[in-house]
Amino acid sequence: MTRQTKEIIIKYIFFLFALVSVIVLGLIVFSLFREGLPIFGKVSVKDFIFGMEWYPTYDPPNFGIFPLIVGSLIVTLLATVIAVPLGVMAAIYISEIAPQAIKEILKSVIELLAGLPSVVLGFFGMVIVAPWLQDTFDLPTGLNIINASMILALMAIPTISSISEDALYAVPREFKEASYALGATKFETIVQVILPAAMSGISTAVMLGMARAIGETMVVLMVAGGAAAIPESLFDSVRPMPASIAAEMGEAPFRSGHYQALFAIGIVLFFMTLFFNLVADYVSHKFRQIGSGTL
Amino acid sequence: METNIIIKLNNVNFYYGQSRALTDISMTFGKNKVTALIGPSGCGKSTLLRLLNRMNDLIDGTRVEGEILFEDKNIYAPDIDPVEIRRKIGMVFQKPNPFPKTIYNNIAYGPKLTGVNAGDLDTLVEQSLKQSVLWNEVKDILNKSAMNLSGGQQQRLCIARALAMKPDILLMDEPTSALDPISTAKIEDLIEELKKDYTIIIVTHNMQQAARISDETAFFYIGNLVEYNKTEKIFTKPDVKQTEDYITGRFG
Amino acid sequence: MNTFNNNSMKWRYLKQHIFFGLVRASALIITLALGGIIFYIVYNGIGAISWDFITKPPTDSMTKGGIMPAILGTIYLTVGAIAIGLPLGIASAIYLTEYAKQGRIVRFIKVGINCLAGVPSVVFGLFGLGFFVILMKFGSSILAGSLTLGFLILPTIIGASEEALKSVPQTFREASLSLGVSKWQTTFRIVLPNALPGILTGSILGIGRAAGETAPIMFTAAAYFTSKLPGSIFDEVMALPYHIYVLATAGTNIEATRPIQFGTVLVLVAVVLGIDLVAIVIRSYMRRNKRW
Repeated sequence: MTRQTKEIIIKYIFFLFALVSVIVLGLIVFSLFREGLPIFGKVSVKDFIFGMEWYPTYDPPNFGIFPLIVGSLIVTLLATVIAVPLGVMAAIYISEIAPQAIKEILKSVIELLAGLPSVVLGFFGMVIVAPWLQDTFDLPTGLNIINASMILALMAIPTISSISEDALYAVPREFKEASYALGATKFETIVQVILPAAMSGISTAVMLGMARAIGETMVVLMVAGGAAAIPESLFDSVRPMPASIAAEMGEAPFRSGHYQALFAIGIVLFFMTLFFNLVADYVSHKFRQIGSGTL
Repeated sequence: METNIIIKLNNVNFYYGQSRALTDISMTFGKNKVTALIGPSGCGKSTLLRLLNRMNDLIDGTRVEGEILFEDKNIYAPDIDPVEIRRKIGMVFQKPNPFPKTIYNNIAYGPKLTGVNAGDLDTLVEQSLKQSVLWNEVKDILNKSAMNLSGGQQQRLCIARALAMKPDILLMDEPTSALDPISTAKIEDLIEELKKDYTIIIVTHNMQQAARISDETAFFYIGNLVEYNKTEKIFTKPDVKQTEDYITGRFG
Repeated sequence: MNTFNNNSMKWRYLKQHIFFGLVRASALIITLALGGIIFYIVYNGIGAISWDFITKPPTDSMTKGGIMPAILGTIYLTVGAIAIGLPLGIASAIYLTEYAKQGRIVRFIKVGINCLAGVPSVVFGLFGLGFFVILMKFGSSILAGSLTLGFLILPTIIGASEEALKSVPQTFREASLSLGVSKWQTTFRIVLPNALPGILTGSILGIGRAAGETAPIMFTAAAYFTSKLPGSIFDEVMALPYHIYVLATAGTNIEATRPIQFGTVLVLVAVVLGIDLVAIVIRSYMRRNKRW
């Protein structure tokens, strides 16, 4: 075999390895569909997604996941509202203001926060935050939307902060110098020059942070309270989609309607996060150019 | 091909994507000669150099037309293995680029991969380092990292590394532009020494350097070969006005 | 300079002060949150930690005794995930940085990797259940759990490896190729060795994640309780994260086992953050001593 043939073979072997990620993604879709799609023989897609009743173990069962979707969306939105200002501000602090030593420490802090296992954060929310909320606001339970959102925000902050920081860091120095040269203060430079130039990166960061929050399982499983109903206040319990899957899969009989419905929830969840990720990917590519044009 | 010619270019055009970097170059390089390629930045001299051992293959979207004959074979023919070509045509780069390995292993890296056995390696390393006049400075620290050497020493190490492959031709892409005057002088002496055994093609920005060390000089301008002649002639009585302007402009 | 301008400057600097205050406060809140959580876990958990706790199995329906099988299970699963994720990840990254030409296929692969990175962990659990446990008939086992976790951390490892490979200077490749060394030899002997420290530290962060994940192993590998240690890769195992979840939510003696829960949380946090911290320290050391 000539060296050139060998080189070409090696190249294609590596190509096959690189395809593994795409293949796994395909297998995920395949597995979810294989186990989940049969539920739509028992309930229509419309009734599944917009049905208000989630009683999978009743006879006859009700497979309406609308309350679960609402639960997921509400904790995700609230977590985003908490995490975006904190995460972006922390990124600004790290990339523009903090002295070198503090910068290093803060970056490590954020990385360690990202490293905390979700079950640990869930445990913390359950054992510490919940009793405190319950006592302070005199609630029937501290396992509710507020609690879950705060903990989820902690999980989304590292994603938002580190990606925003990269975006801020990538803003060309000439922009800043031009702004300072015109007599702008540091604050004015940050708000009027650096932030707009980094906006696409920050948007990507927010999208990915939301994707992280909506798909997070252990926290909502342990902290959100588990009530499969549309909440009326932020102190109500909810049962987000991942929590339902994790909590019920153990009890659902193999290939029963309940089992299939849980996989179908997985399909919904998968495509929701896929949507967030594709939008993030699109935004980061479409507006990649951080040039004078964006100012 | 005549015996004293080692490389022959026939109507070579080179493109980066849509833009043409070299236009219809035909020239020959003499065996055991030092040929200098000069010209202003962007004139195509480095591009031409990298064509000779197919280093431009590494850049996406490039295209070559015409033929470059080495040992009577077109090195861009489809059945030619660029790896084979590069073993015979070595290269020294603008910035010294030793691997982060020991001095010994930098030199031994290439020969090891071509199957030189361990017993002969020591000799080969010593020989190559002596050829590049580095041996006395490094013989006691062969197992130290090459990154600890000075810039000039690193560049001589890179030359030794190229020589260890026993190439026929040594391509040098502004080998002294990142070095201080003393290191530069050492490398120039070295080139003088090496031309007994090797063909050397050197790209340089430094007019005096070209005048000092080369036998032949080729002047390039915007992708064209403007004038190619004996160095003495180019620097004393160039035929073309452009060449004269460039050379005298440089001298001030 | 007239008064108006002075006032205006004062106002501008006041705005800056307020803004900087908010920014610093955000950084402080995040630091305090992490510090508070870690302090609280250590404070409550340290009492449960003893030699027996780490080396003995649970007793009395898991209300007493140690967590050795869970520690062991987590080690098995993590090692299994590395064995799958690391080689695949490095090979993918080599293709993307060393071989691929920019174009549709690369873009397609990269979008695929990004999407895989975004798949929720519970969906990975469903995938593991549907594909490895049921379709491949591995059952709930170390093998199924390791495969699931391995693919979960694949995108992280690809990302880390790509970055490390890209940071190897192009001149190293050129120098090697110019000696007439073939492309794959250059990749294996020059590029990969120089990128390896970066690949490993970057991957460690992914590995920490594999050790701490719960949802992907819930349906694919984790057992509530096993009376004996696993004998093969087709056995179920206990695992630290799942052990915490079970004790904290599903046990009959939730309050009574609180100390064990805190102890287990402390062990898990120590393992995961310990792994991360090592990576962070090595990386900052490497950056400071970088020679190119």
